[in-house]
Amino acid sequence: KSSPEFYVLNIPAPFTGILACLDGYMNIAMEQTEEYVNGQLKNKYGDAFIRGNNVLYISTSKRTLADGA
Amino acid sequence: MASEEESAVKEPLDLIRLSLDERIYVKLRSDRELRGKLHAYDQHLNMILGDVEEVVTTVEIDDETYEEIVRTTKRTVPFLFVRGDGVILVSPPLRTA
Repeated sequence: KSSPEFYVLNIPAPFTGILACLDGYMNIAMEQTEEYVNGQLKNKYGDAFIRGNNVLYISTSKRTLADGA
Repeated sequence: MASEEESAVKEPLDLIRLSLDERIYVKLRSDRELRGKLHAYDQHLNMILGDVEEVVTTVEIDDETYEEIVRTTKRTVPFLFVRGDGVILVSPPLRTA
C-alpha cells in the first residue's frame, strides 16, 4: 500500500500534510499540516480538521505550491 | 496524539471529539481565528467555545507606496456559539514558528 506523503488541498490557502482520514462531505483530518501563503505562514502539527466545503482540490503532488505556482 | 481506537470508521469528526474540553485553534472565513476551549460541536462544525480569543486580520494596501499593512484586532469572549459554515479548520493550538 503506497503511503502518499503529501496531500495538497487548495482552499483559500493551500494546505499540505498527511491524510489521516476523510468522510463523505470531504471533511479532512490531516497530520503535520502546513499552510502556505506565498512563503510558509503557519505550521500546524498534530491533527488538523478541515471542513469539507472549503476543499477545492486534493492531490498527491508534493508541495509544488510552495512557489505559489 | 494518536489514540488508536478503531471503531468501524474513523471519521475526521470522531477525531475532533478527542479535543473536547481542550483548547483548540479554529480558522474561520474572513481572516478570523479563534482560540478557546471546545465545549461542544456537531456535524456542521457548529461549536460552543469558552474563554475565546478572536483575532481578525486585515491587510491594507497603501495607495502610494503599495505597502501592505497587516493589522490584527483581538477581543475576548467568555462564551461563544460559532456557526459551522464559517469554519475552515480546527486544530490543537498552534505552535507557530
